[in-house]
Amino acid sequence: MEPVRNPLAWLLWLWMVVVILGAFFYAPLAAGFIGQSSRILYFHVPMAWTAFLGFYVAGFFSLLYLFGPRAARHDRAAAAAIELGLVLGVLATITGAIWARIMWGAYWNWDPRQTSIVLALVFYGAYLALRDAVEDGEKRARLAAAYAVLGLVVTPFFFFVVPRITYSLHPEPVINSRGKVEMELRMLQVLLSSTVGFTALFFWMHNLHTRIRALAEAGAEESEAQ
Amino acid sequence: MNPSGGITWVAVTNVIIWTGLFLYLLRLHRKVRELEKKP
Repeated sequence: MEPVRNPLAWLLWLWMVVVILGAFFYAPLAAGFIGQSSRILYFHVPMAWTAFLGFYVAGFFSLLYLFGPRAARHDRAAAAAIELGLVLGVLATITGAIWARIMWGAYWNWDPRQTSIVLALVFYGAYLALRDAVEDGEKRARLAAAYAVLGLVVTPFFFFVVPRITYSLHPEPVINSRGKVEMELRMLQVLLSSTVGFTALFFWMHNLHTRIRALAEAGAEESEAQ
Repeated sequence: MNPSGGITWVAVTNVIIWTGLFLYLLRLHRKVRELEKKP
């Protein structure tokens, strides 16, 4: 098997190892949090961010599909981004629930943050159901693209608006309600580094997932032709 | 349990999980490249 001579991949490995060590040994504990629970921040927030990114990347490729030359590669890229966004969104929900168990005494509290992310996951879960329900490839791509473009409007509402307009126990976002970043410097350094690492990881996984989809589609067409 | 010892184990577990995911992705990357080169 040919080795991957990609120094960027190894740089990402090293980057994330440093982030993990920074999260546990460099960043101080946040005030007002029980025990070590504030350290989950360095993984939970980047996961939620990359889930949002995935849904927006899907919207971007869907716009390219609808207003471009109707290229199948754009449809594949949109579907791959939503699938990854869903996985990361589920991981963000699980890590959030673990933190909620420590801080609030229960995994699930129907807090506006928890509720809004679940609604976002249901919205994008329906995207996958829509894709499964339509057999004709071109029609499926067109409908799915229109749905993902609708997501460009809906997603910021779930991620940013609902948690800010309702009373929530959830800690303030990095950019707080006064529009300022008031996080301790070392915490902010680790959080931003983790977000950069997760973003790079997302684009790597997205690239691979899109190419695997292309190979699977080519394989299916080949076996149909035989 | 010593709190700093506990946190070390959590950090080590995180590094192991990340390294496992990374090696899996690297292997997948190679496999995809090979399949794409096939005529």
